[in-house]
Amino acid sequence: MIQKKVCMVGVFGTGKTSLVQQYVHTKFTDKYHSTVGVKIDRKVVSVDGTDVTLVLWDLAGRDPQQDVGASYLKGSHGVIYVGDGTRRETVTDLDDLLRVATAAAGPVPSVTAINKIDLTEQWALTPEDYQALVKRGALFRTSAKTGEGVEEMFLQLARFLIVPKAGA
Amino acid sequence: MTDVSAASRSSDAPRGKGAEATLTPPHVPVVPVPPVAGGAPVAASASAPPPAPVDPRVAEMAELKRLLLDAERARLDANEARLEANLLTPENLADRLPEAIVLRASQDKQLARALAPTVEAAIGESVRRKPGEFADAIFPVLGPAIRKAIAETMAELVGSINRAMQHSFSARGLSWRIESWRTGVPYAQVVIKHALVYRVEQVFLVHRETGLLLAQAHPPHLQVPDADLVSGMLTAIRDFVGDSFSGEKEVGGLRTFSVGELTVMVEQGPRAVLAAVVRGQAPESYVRRVQETIEGVHAQFASALNEFEGDTSAFESVQPLLEDCLVTVLETDPPAGKKVNTTPYVIAVAAVVVLLIAWMMWQSTRWSRVITQLRATPGIVVTEAQRGWRTHSVRGLRDPDAPQPNAIFVAAGYDSVRVEQQWEPYLSLQPTLVLKRVARRLGAPQPGTPSYVLRGDTLVVVGALDAVWLARVARRVTWPAGVASVDLRAAQPVMPAALASPADSLVSGRVLFPAGTSQLDDAAYAVIRGAARQARKLASALGADGVSATLTLTGRADATGTDSTNASLSRERADRVRRALEAQLREGAKTPAVRYDPKGVGTAEPLPASDSTARARMNRSVSFDVRLTIDAPSGARPQ
Ligand SMILES: Nc1nc2c(ncn2[C@@H]2O[C@H](COP(=O)(O)OP(=O)(O)OP(=O)(O)O)[C@@H](O)[C@H]2O)c(=O)[nH]1
Ligand SMILES: [Mg+2]
Repeated sequence: MIQKKVCMVGVFGTGKTSLVQQYVHTKFTDKYHSTVGVKIDRKVVSVDGTDVTLVLWDLAGRDPQQDVGASYLKGSHGVIYVGDGTRRETVTDLDDLLRVATAAAGPVPSVTAINKIDLTEQWALTPEDYQALVKRGALFRTSAKTGEGVEEMFLQLARFLIVPKAGA
Repeated sequence: MTDVSAASRSSDAPRGKGAEATLTPPHVPVVPVPPVAGGAPVAASASAPPPAPVDPRVAEMAELKRLLLDAERARLDANEARLEANLLTPENLADRLPEAIVLRASQDKQLARALAPTVEAAIGESVRRKPGEFADAIFPVLGPAIRKAIAETMAELVGSINRAMQHSFSARGLSWRIESWRTGVPYAQVVIKHALVYRVEQVFLVHRETGLLLAQAHPPHLQVPDADLVSGMLTAIRDFVGDSFSGEKEVGGLRTFSVGELTVMVEQGPRAVLAAVVRGQAPESYVRRVQETIEGVHAQFASALNEFEGDTSAFESVQPLLEDCLVTVLETDPPAGKKVNTTPYVIAVAAVVVLLIAWMMWQSTRWSRVITQLRATPGIVVTEAQRGWRTHSVRGLRDPDAPQPNAIFVAAGYDSVRVEQQWEPYLSLQPTLVLKRVARRLGAPQPGTPSYVLRGDTLVVVGALDAVWLARVARRVTWPAGVASVDLRAAQPVMPAALASPADSLVSGRVLFPAGTSQLDDAAYAVIRGAARQARKLASALGADGVSATLTLTGRADATGTDSTNASLSRERADRVRRALEAQLREGAKTPAVRYDPKGVGTAEPLPASDSTARARMNRSVSFDVRLTIDAPSGARPQ
């Protein structure tokens, strides 16, 4: 069995825990319980016929100034960056978080989720913000509430982690 | 009585005279010797010197002697010669000694007894004069035995002292005292009885860096929690403790912690961690077993641990080792006559001795550990390692991309001046080294950070990466040692940083339409002209580098009207912009190679805006985006 360690990184309250809950248990709650330390969950995905266990480390939200918790990131095979589309600064802070996380985990594959797309009225990102983000590579618009984009986002990361077998 | 009779029987006459004086009258001689008349002439003839004058009788006598005694004399002479030959000369002795010793030793123990004092003295003398040589000679025999004995004694001593100490002061100790008083069982027995009951309920082997579970074992009937999660949490707890209680977490790390009735014992190795979940109190000897197991795992699975990328199938055969750690010890009576001697002097002396020996053992363990670490480091091959009293020497091979061996020595606490090192350069084909070489040679894309994986000799590049850089990688024909070909299927090309500004102005342009139509007005044409300019710049720059650009044109409609009219209207808008754009691009000196991908989404993917009028206006539009693909390199790729 192939296992991969994946860390969820993002500012407080962007929906890291909610994304994992939605993905693993198909559950969502409006209540906000801020994560302390780390919470670990697990899900088996099948990528082109190969089963891979994603061990999901849901880290406590952090602002980029404090880099404690870098040791949790050590040894990650992949990182999921989560921003909140209704709070613009949580998205712009992702650049700093990327630097902190890359220093700890090394240049591992990553995807970026801009979460809470169901809240269109409160959407704070301009199309230009979004276009700037696209350049980061694998970008997903997700909603932990409706489940939109969640499955696809995790699957894309799994695809990065399970690299194709040689000589196909 | 027996004494007296023995004395009287064995005593000969002259000495017995005094002893038996009371039995025999003194005046009576015991052995009367009367003069005998015939005796004197016989004695005289035998001892008389020969008369001086030559007498014919004498000559006759000599002749007679010769005739009678000559044969005897010859035999006597021969015997004398033989005796001479059998005398104990060193030469003779050297010939016969081994046989003689064997012969005698097989008969009785007399020889050994006789030799013992001399041999003892000789050994004593030898030890006094050349202690070093003597120690060298017997070390191979004694070393392991001594170590084993000390380790056992130490463990037992420390373990029993620990237990007795802990229990006499804790609440449990108090309850055991009560139990002892209530049942009449001696306190020591109550302590040992309780202390020995433990059960190992689960054993985890966890990859140290990632916290991923490599293997686990538990008794067949027992219900246990999800091992993957426990192993992750275990690592998280370890990281947390490491972060919270010391700057460097390599220093000590977490050894045990408790959850309710369970104690988790954690033994860390350089690459993996073994954790045993114990109900009850495990003795010191169990800690050693866990240590030995993690050492064994490192020895047996060294390369699998080094190269672990998430695939646990390499660790299936570790199972029996873990199962050996599943111990259940039920209440057993303590061995009779074993009492803890708590005399402070004994403990103090024992502690000093133990510390001394431990220090010496630590020195040699430290060295073998650092050498093991060097050997386990990819890209370093140790061919020779010598530990001296003060200075040490190491030689071997080192890949230029391997870590500095000196840093490893310094980290292990060695003074780098004291370790003489000689490293010959070589190229390692170990995956980590190959990947380091690759990263150095391929350089850094702008933007993106590539991840590399080696599948055999195929390099797999992963990530969202600068398209031009990717195209160059795809075209590359010579590879660093260890790589023969490249697989870019897991890489996603993104706009290179150098082209960010034309790309930005292209995608931020938006062609707007009046309600319900796909007619282009002057403002629309202006936007299209601008887009064409940027598209030409992009396509020509990218094309030269082997990257193809596809322009996606997304047509939208506002929320009024039916879905089907909106769908066709938005598609019409996209097609119309595409035609105008294509015409613009054809007008220049050279038509750039651009592909088009027009689509109409109707109202499905609305652009967000602050209020509804603005939103309606913004969504009667066509917006641009660029998708990049890497052209297949011309010519055959090297196999
Ligand atoms: N409407 C909506 N609410 C969301 C979504 N995702 C999360 N939330 C809400 O946002 C709040 C924070 O979500 P969490 O998942 O706890 O956020 P977190 O990133 O784990 O927060 P920390 O653990 O404090 O870093 C909760 O009240 C969630 O209900 C979403 O997609 N849509
Ligand atoms: Mg959380």
